[in-house]
Amino acid sequence: MTWNYSEKTTRLFMDAVQGRPGTHMGEIANPDGIGEHGSIACGDALRFTFRVERHPSDPTRDIIVEARYLTFGCTSAIAASEALCAIIEERRLTPIQALSITNKDIVEYLEGLPEQKIHCSVMGAEALQAAVFNWAQRRGVDLRALGVDITPEEREEGRVVCTCFGLTEPYLRRKIVELNLRSITDITNAVKAGGACMSCHHKPGGLQDLLDDIWGRQPTEFKTEVELPVAQLIARARGEDGLSPYQFAKKVERVLDEYVRPMLAQDGGDLEVVDIKDTLVYCRLKGACAGCVGANQTIKFMVEQVLKDRVDQRCRVIAV
Amino acid sequence: MPVIYLDNNATTAVAPEVVEAMLPYLEDQYFNPSSMYEAARGPARAIAEARATVARHLHCRPEEILFTSCATESNNTAIIGALRARPERRHVVTTQVEHPAVLEVCKFLVREGFDVDFLPVDGSGQLNVEAFVRALRPGQTLLVSVMHANNETGVLFPIAELARITKETDPGILVHTDATQTAGKLPLDLRGELRHVDLLSLSGHKLHAPKGVGALFLRRGAPVRPFLLGGHQESGRRGGTENVPYIVGLARALELAEATHAEDGERITALRDRLEGELTRRIPYLEVNGAGAPRLDNTLNVAVHFVEGEGMLYQLSARGICASSGSACTSGSLEPSHVLRAMGVPFTAVHGSLRFSLSRYTTAEEIEAVIEALPEIVASLRRLSPYWDEGARAPRPEGEALLRQAVEERRQRLAQQS
Repeated sequence: MTWNYSEKTTRLFMDAVQGRPGTHMGEIANPDGIGEHGSIACGDALRFTFRVERHPSDPTRDIIVEARYLTFGCTSAIAASEALCAIIEERRLTPIQALSITNKDIVEYLEGLPEQKIHCSVMGAEALQAAVFNWAQRRGVDLRALGVDITPEEREEGRVVCTCFGLTEPYLRRKIVELNLRSITDITNAVKAGGACMSCHHKPGGLQDLLDDIWGRQPTEFKTEVELPVAQLIARARGEDGLSPYQFAKKVERVLDEYVRPMLAQDGGDLEVVDIKDTLVYCRLKGACAGCVGANQTIKFMVEQVLKDRVDQRCRVIAV
Repeated sequence: MPVIYLDNNATTAVAPEVVEAMLPYLEDQYFNPSSMYEAARGPARAIAEARATVARHLHCRPEEILFTSCATESNNTAIIGALRARPERRHVVTTQVEHPAVLEVCKFLVREGFDVDFLPVDGSGQLNVEAFVRALRPGQTLLVSVMHANNETGVLFPIAELARITKETDPGILVHTDATQTAGKLPLDLRGELRHVDLLSLSGHKLHAPKGVGALFLRRGAPVRPFLLGGHQESGRRGGTENVPYIVGLARALELAEATHAEDGERITALRDRLEGELTRRIPYLEVNGAGAPRLDNTLNVAVHFVEGEGMLYQLSARGICASSGSACTSGSLEPSHVLRAMGVPFTAVHGSLRFSLSRYTTAEEIEAVIEALPEIVASLRRLSPYWDEGARAPRPEGEALLRQAVEERRQRLAQQS
């Protein structure tokens, strides 16, 4: 998997690892807010700290003047951390205003991130929320009273199943059980997974595999208008009057000879049985009747009725 | 900037001699080897000769070699073909560290209702032979599929021994090995040491032939139905017009490997050992994955604590150095390597793995370039890490605590297995 990072992402990353001036790598001693997100076990971890210019009387009017990060993670995680700090410092925001920075802002600042790296930008936003919460505690600000609801967006870490929407296996497993999702269509309707490129439907470890694993293997949903299988029809035909396919065919011919062909012969016509598949009888009109406008009607109604009455109620005649 | 290519377990440079051998069949010798006219004799003979060459290299009969499009196809053919031949046997034995080309096929079997044992490995990546023996079910086991060398760590499995045990348990159990990483690097003797192996997969592009060609050794009489159904090619065991130039290339590549093996082998081993020694000496908190196990001479897999692999790869790449990582961020799946997890690599290091794999084209200067570059790169990332104090060249207290926890977890995990 090759890198398709934007130039800006690459530049921010290289500046950070080379410790160039102007980067935000580091940790503020005695910060006014500290927040962490992720863990080394998950492969991404970020510690975010900020310092505010304190407002003399109203802490909600504190302005963040310095933001720093320490990040364990990949190229985009480090660049996203850099972006978060840069955005906050540039805009001179209060901590509460800073909460309006979303992962979308970070992605925009980075001039785009590959789809499978979007979670790196989410991590930055979540560390920020945690830091603001921490600041509020230190400064005695009641966030809830101000109508600020910090409930970190729930995102389980894990293998990404639906790459289009970035949905992970733990998340999907939980939703499948919680919402009793029984089919791929159910999943797509409920949580969008599998709704875009659809490649995750039947690939190994994809949506169908999750469903099979959780609910047990079910017959694959795939309805067509196929008739019952031939073997079943034969078994049923035998069950009724005990005719083997050979005997059934002979009886059809006998009935046709006795009741149908003489009638057709009066008009100089004849009838040929082309094939029989259990109770389906394939027929073709011959002689004077061939090409007759009413030929197919003749076969369908006249011949079929005779066979139904004299051979088997389930007989169907198909004109060839 | 010159490219320093140290990712030869992923793919290799095509040898100029191989290109030369292939060219006639890309130019005027384009005829279908199945055709009757005189002109088609050239390609037909080329395939026959290539088959004989591969057979000579593996010490088997020419008719026991099937040419395929890649090792993945060879593996699918071996496993799916075996179950098609004897659907009454419903049990398969494999390992947790197989390449996806085997692992995913085995997971598919599980979904189809088969019983599959995925055997664990120990901390150095080795298989527990007793666990292997316990897993075998005489009269029920269809197939054993165990790789010859691991592509990530280079750790070798004792295939000859496992195959013998299997056959003594029940000669009806088929033994398959994915030898993608060993073909061209180690002698493969299917009449001698590997005489109990029924199926062996290999790939051209790991041994200086191009991508798009592989082979499957299929021991005479082994019950395996075709996987790709089609024409009568490969004696009806693999449909599809033969890829003449690539088949010729594969055979030529095996010849070259054999001819240069003795001399290359020693030189590559020395380079790998120097790389391993210097990185271990210069970078604190670096582990060699698979240390202590028999390993391929060309492979070095290290895990760097408190650093994420992708950031290292990226900076190596910026210096022209090509390597790979088992880090989650490079796998496309957000999960670190299944091989390193199976080995119980501590979670503080499992995201920081790097694999360097050498070839006969690797030079001493290239290895020195890595030895110079990597310590700086690791330091640059550790300066950013919340778990590391680069000034002290040691973990911060919180990193230290995590490390203790990770090491303890590994100890318990491995204790559970034995």
